[in-house]
Amino acid sequence: MLLLLAQEAVALAVPAGAGGPVDAGLGRGLLQQAAQAALHFFNFRAGSPSALRVLASVQEGRAWVNPEKGCKVELVFSTERYNPQKGEEHLGKCSAQVFFKNQKPRPAINVTCTRLTEKKKRQQEDYLLYKQMKQLKNPLDVVSIPDSHGHIDPSLRPMWDLAFLGSSYVMWEKTTQFSRYNLAQLSSVKQWKTHEGAIDFDYTVLLHEFSTQEIIPCRIHLVWYPGKPLKVKYICQELQTPEGSGTEEGSAVAPAQLSNF
Amino acid sequence: MCTKKSQTTKLDNAEVPNGIFRSGIEVQLKQKFTRSLAQHGEEVVDKTVSPWRSLETYSYDKYHSMEEIYQWMNQISEKYTDVVTQHFLGMTYETRPMYYLKISQPSSNPKKSIWMDCGIHAREWIAPAFCQWFVKELLQNYKNDLRISRFLRNLDFYVLPVLNIDGYIYSWTTDRLWRKSRSLHDNGTCFGTDLNRNFNASWCSIGASKNCQDLTFCGTGPASEPETKAVSSFVESQKENIVCFLTIHSYGQYILLPYGYTKNKSSNHEELIQVGQKAANALKAKHGTNYRVGSSADILYSSSGSSRDWARDIGIPFSYTFELRDNGTYGFVLPEAQIQPTCEETMEAVLSILDDVYAKYWLSNSAGKVTSITVVLSLLMSLIALL
Repeated sequence: MLLLLAQEAVALAVPAGAGGPVDAGLGRGLLQQAAQAALHFFNFRAGSPSALRVLASVQEGRAWVNPEKGCKVELVFSTERYNPQKGEEHLGKCSAQVFFKNQKPRPAINVTCTRLTEKKKRQQEDYLLYKQMKQLKNPLDVVSIPDSHGHIDPSLRPMWDLAFLGSSYVMWEKTTQFSRYNLAQLSSVKQWKTHEGAIDFDYTVLLHEFSTQEIIPCRIHLVWYPGKPLKVKYICQELQTPEGSGTEEGSAVAPAQLSNF
Repeated sequence: MCTKKSQTTKLDNAEVPNGIFRSGIEVQLKQKFTRSLAQHGEEVVDKTVSPWRSLETYSYDKYHSMEEIYQWMNQISEKYTDVVTQHFLGMTYETRPMYYLKISQPSSNPKKSIWMDCGIHAREWIAPAFCQWFVKELLQNYKNDLRISRFLRNLDFYVLPVLNIDGYIYSWTTDRLWRKSRSLHDNGTCFGTDLNRNFNASWCSIGASKNCQDLTFCGTGPASEPETKAVSSFVESQKENIVCFLTIHSYGQYILLPYGYTKNKSSNHEELIQVGQKAANALKAKHGTNYRVGSSADILYSSSGSSRDWARDIGIPFSYTFELRDNGTYGFVLPEAQIQPTCEETMEAVLSILDDVYAKYWLSNSAGKVTSITVVLSLLMSLIALL
């Protein structure tokens, strides 16, 4: 990966601080942006619905901005388990290099994180989730997870975790240096079945984009088997861009490899 | 940046919504969503459906419908009648009354005022929950807690628990992720103004849209919306006394200073940073939650027409936007289990700001106010002692 240091490039450092760093002039929380993108990518690559992570805080970072090429961010951030387990150490540390191509989505990411769960335990938890999912009967009348009050029925939690995992891929691919995505809700389930042992899941989520505040529905189709790479296809209903109108389709089959923890 | 397509409209009339939810399944399930939401306590005309609640059993760790919040305000002002009065602020677009609570201890002391509003964006449910929590904390503790009773000696509080009432109700009955108001535009084809882009602060210059379809639609002119007018008329009329303007949102975990419409800093920027950082530290000490502090344009994104920027520009010195939990994990749909810890930590942040405001106006001022006479006297005494 090229290290971008053009004449106009600006290197900015943000020190760690007990009260949380002030992003002095880093313009629109670029570090936060990069951390979120790195985490979406990490979760997708890990392919493990029982080991999803969320952002705790950005600890330090540096950014190089080249107005023509894009920007490169190096950062260190801490994570928490999405499903916190009692009595377990839940804070992990990640370091990442994120490269935003100018105006283009799908940032190039290099990310490594300290291990939160032992590989064997993670595999066990994934397999447990898988068994629970196979027993889920007809979740097609599922409406909005979480519900309005943020509640997720424990029996539907595995489905939510899997939806989150698939959404991570979509959110990573859509992220640019200006747009940041979070999963707002799982709004419908079109299909839920097992196919050759794998979970075949066709659903719609609502993504929230931070800078425009828009809610974007995305239809996602994934195939998952514990320990195997996650396969994802998706199509989002896009907002119009200044350059043109029409729907932008994003469709990708990802033969992802599992990261080595 | 041009973006299009806002939320659906009129699903209950089974119109096929424009733009987003084209698929049959989406429409079907949206209707189911509406029905299931209805069981969670939609705005109902028939009052016998919602059970009567006494303040003693009011759950501050649950989300409440607008009808319940109206009831709660009545009950609060009835129970704490010596310090609380309920006042009419104005009408919403759909002609609902906007009420604020004034918390004020009768006193001959000179007073300054604090303004707090919640729920300018409909889907940010944790915000109105915090306003209710804040009121409850003040009223349950103003007699016995030294810190709070000290505040009430010299500070009046104006609390508007829900600013965007129409939108809030809509997020209960129809679309949980609705953001804007419910005003009608474009010959009845498009709904809602982003009230936090509608204030008269570099209106619609940046980070806002002139297109009603967008979620950051700034309205048809500065303060074009009745809700905006209601708030700005009142705050303007009180601006000599208001020293602190707090507007509560979610999500993101930020304490934001002016400005959003420019990267220029306010004249008291350093002080605002200091006070804000101290508040974030106090917040973190409670449950470990990380908040970031900075001007909106620096650490969030550019936006014009915000209430916070407007308040600062009419002279209110301590003007902050709070973006409460969380960081994106649940976002707007924050689980009820997190209401209490969120409110507890946010309370610490607000109290910290009040400490600084109080110290600025009452500790130094009161020394100054004791006037030069005391200073002269003590100088004379020292002189005499020297002779």
